[in-house]
Amino acid sequence: MQTKTPAQERRDKIVFGTLAVFLFLVIWYLVTKLTAFGEIFPDPVTVLANIGDKFVNPLGKVTLAGHILVSIRRVMAAFVVAAAGGIVLGVTMGWYPVVEAIFKPIIEFLRPIPPIAWIPISILWYGFSEMSKYFLIFLASFFVITISVYSGVKSVDPMLIRAARMLGAKDNQLFTTIIIPSVVPYIFSGLQVALGNSWASIVAAEMVQSNMGVGWIIITGQQSSNMVQIVTGIVCIAVVGMLLVMIMRGLENKLCAWNKQGR
Amino acid sequence: MMGEQKTKAAGARVEVRNLTKKFGDLLVLDDISFNVEKGEFLCIVGPTGCGKTTFLNSLTRLYDLTAGEILVNGEAVDPKKHNISYIFQEYSAMPWLSVEDNIRFGLDIKGVPKQEAQENVEEMLEIVGLEKFRKQYPHQLSASMLQRVSIARAFATKPDLLLMDEPYGQLDIELRFKLEDELIKLWEKLGTTVLFITHNIEEAVYLGQNIMVLTNKPTKVKTVIPDEIPHPRDVTAPEFVKLRNYVTDMIKWW
Ligand SMILES: Nc1ncnc2c1ncn2[C@@H]1O[C@H](COP(=O)(O)OP(=O)(O)OP(=O)(O)O)[C@@H](O)[C@H]1O
Ligand SMILES: [Mg+2]
Repeated sequence: MQTKTPAQERRDKIVFGTLAVFLFLVIWYLVTKLTAFGEIFPDPVTVLANIGDKFVNPLGKVTLAGHILVSIRRVMAAFVVAAAGGIVLGVTMGWYPVVEAIFKPIIEFLRPIPPIAWIPISILWYGFSEMSKYFLIFLASFFVITISVYSGVKSVDPMLIRAARMLGAKDNQLFTTIIIPSVVPYIFSGLQVALGNSWASIVAAEMVQSNMGVGWIIITGQQSSNMVQIVTGIVCIAVVGMLLVMIMRGLENKLCAWNKQGR
Repeated sequence: MMGEQKTKAAGARVEVRNLTKKFGDLLVLDDISFNVEKGEFLCIVGPTGCGKTTFLNSLTRLYDLTAGEILVNGEAVDPKKHNISYIFQEYSAMPWLSVEDNIRFGLDIKGVPKQEAQENVEEMLEIVGLEKFRKQYPHQLSASMLQRVSIARAFATKPDLLLMDEPYGQLDIELRFKLEDELIKLWEKLGTTVLFITHNIEEAVYLGQNIMVLTNKPTKVKTVIPDEIPHPRDVTAPEFVKLRNYVTDMIKWW
């Protein structure tokens, strides 16, 4: 077998990936045109045309781009707060046994609750306001990030702590030169899961209660039996979700190059 | 060559008094007493599992002592105050730092000025033969290279007390010979006190001023053999072979 350079491999990935997407669209098109599935589901050309159209002409109050931005803004506002809080709490929990003793049981108890289970509370507390969405996104990301960072601090290699101590590291130096760098990959894996959770939760929240956003597109599509609009919303959710994951991965690869298992 | 040597390492004096170490019911070190003088090069040999690593870990207070005390320059050991380097038996390179930055680690911790630190790092990269790999990360290195990173990191701080726990076990013969000679050079130049643990009797006879032989568990000092052959030593010289055979006889616990 001949070996390929990384550049060749990357090119192959792009080529085959593009081909696969194209093939998927062709099959989708053929199935809707040649079978009865076409009566209950729109073909991709119609959906893509609708997406293009709604980027120019408003859907409800704003264009498609407007809805996407509203959803992203909601996610980001709460996600950033949850990330900051989760990192701080996770690190202190890992470092100070007292903080661990106090918070760990609470967090372990709250973490398994799916974020959408909080929707009724968020509505009763915050009604239609943006705050109801922030509340939900915060819950969808905070616990995941906290636990991930906490377990990162717990799994710092004791050998490295010894090595640093032997070279005369004080506690604060130990923290900045060993603990923080060791935890960075755990921060990223927490952020990635949390962002996925958040994106899924915002769609659910908007479907229950909102007048804008990608979730709203889907639910109003259902209320007016507009299948093209529903599929438009779904495609947007998928594409944006994928882009968010890719951005996080890119960031991780940049900041944690050392963590990639070499070949 | 080595840059301006600002402070020549003073060499630390180590006093071990009635050192006893148990793990639960397992008595490992049994009431051991000895001194290591300033600038002494002491090799420690002993059967596997007799507590050599335990001794160094007790000395540096990574372990609590069961009884007795260990003093460095007359006081309890404190790595923040005493300039110590400890080359562990296991790997301990920081995975997120390049080879170069790993070697610089102790210098940064101790706040050595940038210029001087860089000179030390360059010198160490050359000594351990890793110049070409300076930008690599630990996951890209072989076992021998990882060990050399630890060695370079330990040498770079020009310690007063250098603790080495079977540091050359992973290296091939040529590299081992080279690094043994580099260690001798460093020791002669700095006046560092060296405690060198090894399984390799020839290595002990080649390096040490004194060779301490430990017994099986519960471990005591069996004997300390002076090695007065002048450096550079020739492993084929009759006096060398004679001493090596003598140490081999002393170490036999069967
Ligand atoms: N942290 C520990 N907890 C319990 N027992 C330990 C611990 N560390 C070492 N021991 C035991 O103490 C004894 C001495 O171990 P140590 O690692 O010091 O031996 P060693 O002389 O360094 O051996 P080697 O030549 O294989 O490196 C062994 O019986 C070991 O099982
Ligand atoms: Mg050992």
